[in-house]
Amino acid sequence: MNGMMLVARREIVTQIRTRSFIFSLLITVVIVGALAFAPKLFDGPDAYTLGTVNSQQLPLEAAAPDMEFEWRAYPDEAAATRAVLDGDVDAALVDGSKVLTDGEIDTELGVLLQSTHREVKLGPAGVNIAPLQVESVGADTRYEAARTGIALVLVLVLFMLIIGQVMTVAMGVVEEKGSRIVEILLSSVRPWQLLGGKIIGLGVLGLINLGSILAVGLVASYVSGFAADFPPGMTGIMAGVILWFVLGYAFFATLGAALSALVSRQEEVGNVMSPISMVIMAAYFVAFYAVNDPTGPVATIVSFVPPFSSMVMPVRMAATEVPLWEVAASVGLMVLAVLATLSFGAKVYERAVLRTGARVKLGEVLRAK
Amino acid sequence: MLEISGLRKRFAGSPGTPEGKQALDGIGFTVRPGEMFGFVGANGAGKSTTMRIVMGVLKADAGTVTWRGEPVTYADRQRFGYMPEERGLYQKMRASEQIEYFGRLHGMSPDRAKKATEDLLERLGLTERRNSSVESLSLGNQQRVQLAVALVHDPELLILDEPFSGLDPIAVEALATVLQERCRGGVPVIFSSHQLELVERLCDSVGIVSAGRMVASGPVDELRAAEGGTLRVVVRNPAPGWADGLPGLVSVQGDRHVLVTEDGDDQEILRRAVKAGHVEHFGVEQPTLTEIFKEAVA
Ligand SMILES: Nc1ncnc2c1ncn2[C@@H]1O[C@H](COP(=O)(O)OP(=O)(O)O)[C@@H](O)[C@H]1O
Ligand SMILES: [Mg+2]
Repeated sequence: MNGMMLVARREIVTQIRTRSFIFSLLITVVIVGALAFAPKLFDGPDAYTLGTVNSQQLPLEAAAPDMEFEWRAYPDEAAATRAVLDGDVDAALVDGSKVLTDGEIDTELGVLLQSTHREVKLGPAGVNIAPLQVESVGADTRYEAARTGIALVLVLVLFMLIIGQVMTVAMGVVEEKGSRIVEILLSSVRPWQLLGGKIIGLGVLGLINLGSILAVGLVASYVSGFAADFPPGMTGIMAGVILWFVLGYAFFATLGAALSALVSRQEEVGNVMSPISMVIMAAYFVAFYAVNDPTGPVATIVSFVPPFSSMVMPVRMAATEVPLWEVAASVGLMVLAVLATLSFGAKVYERAVLRTGARVKLGEVLRAK
Repeated sequence: MLEISGLRKRFAGSPGTPEGKQALDGIGFTVRPGEMFGFVGANGAGKSTTMRIVMGVLKADAGTVTWRGEPVTYADRQRFGYMPEERGLYQKMRASEQIEYFGRLHGMSPDRAKKATEDLLERLGLTERRNSSVESLSLGNQQRVQLAVALVHDPELLILDEPFSGLDPIAVEALATVLQERCRGGVPVIFSSHQLELVERLCDSVGIVSAGRMVASGPVDELRAAEGGTLRVVVRNPAPGWADGLPGLVSVQGDRHVLVTEDGDDQEILRRAVKAGHVEHFGVEQPTLTEIFKEAVA
């Protein structure tokens, strides 16, 4: 195994063993799992319990096949009234002509009861009403709500993972520099191997995180039934997220490693990393904005601009349908940016990481021969 | 054989020292196979800078470092063992894993790295702490782990920057024993230290550096011979003025007179002493390394 892979393996093994890694993974996974159930909670109840007094049950299931109805018969109106007031039933039908409720009736239930009642009454009279045909002449918006939800979760996940892993890279670089471990390390591995190994190792951990989140999100969506609302091309969206994470992480982590190699103390990391944190934050805000306006000019343009594209494009891809050529062009630009960053970052890192003590100036590092 | 010659290194000025600092001003010495070389000098003399240049951590402005006759390369340095002055270990990593990791980085197979780690843990008395994280170890034990990291890959040359500092006498012995073994196996060992008695006891050769220059270097015996011995004569109840005209200093301790001198005719001094009184002691004392050092840097 070469030096870079050894370094990467060390990063993975040490991080996985820490309690904070396990905890943060568990917490995000639980949150994402819970989010997959959220649509159900906000949709309102889709099961009703109804009482009857001296009435036929109405064929509500036929009118609303997604819902469930439970019927309970009561001997007289007084018993039904008590059941309504106690909340045992949502409403009670009396003598086929009156509905008892506790205050205002649930709108959906009210409409259902009225229309079904009318149909039942009209049917025997030989009147047949064909249901209205609904036809959309606009874009396919069936999945809009689901797309928005998925995009929103992706923004958060990408943002947290990228900033979390990039900061871990930065702190690792300073740990090695500040404690002079680099002095020993660099007599057995090359600077690019050390840098590359660290970035790869922590990137793999990010992917483990992302993979767990996606897997739990998918499984929970199937269990909760939210998966039925998934837009077509979900696999593509997921694959895109992984690709964009890799690109975005590679870009920011390399820059982060280079900048943090300029300082020798952990307390200085936040300071030296602030330009990078700010860019990640900016990308996050635009991506957040793109969730609700994925086809607007801001989201469209920024989804091509590296490194912002790494967070905006996957969100656009989830929130709306993006033509393949646009995705390809944006990926191409980002790959170029990552390559440029790698060559710049490796140079800065190599020149700065052995210069312990006071903060090294970036200009000085770049000027040095 | 490691040959260092004409090393010069200037550090650029900083807010504290605007004019910069000539840290090395022509450092050179040679370490032969199986030789233990002690590198001594006051704080800031340039020992660490020299060692860091040999290890490639710093670049010299001028001068050469050759290993087995060729300029030292990255591949050579992979087979060197290095203990930096400022200790560096991964605090959260277990002692044994850490040693093994550095063995692997130096190109050892997993099995060999594991075996070498076990051996070293045993030699250095760390077996019981093998699974402790470095941060939970005492300072002395951390230093042993640091030494193990420098030794794990069976280096062909050892460069240790103040390996004994901060150790208790037992740890010093354990470390010294391990170093002597490696040395007997033909590995040149260079270490810096302020403990001159220890250097004197362990080292075949020493290099004394002062303000970036070598002021003396070579086998300890040769340095002693060059320095010359000190004649010490103790006479009881001598006649007053017995030493008039003799070189050296006379100090009076009760009824004993002690004459200490580095030159003069020892036979003449002996005759005068015998005539003057009861000679209790007459002998030439070899200078200690401390004396050689003081003389050299004065
Ligand atoms: N990175 C550096 N920047 C500026 N000056 C340095 C640096 N490292 C060492 N020096 C200076 O070089 C001189 C020699 O230092 P050093 O080699 O550490 O001495 P020693 O190890 O013999 O105590 C000292 O004056 C020290 O202040
Ligand atoms: Mg020093």
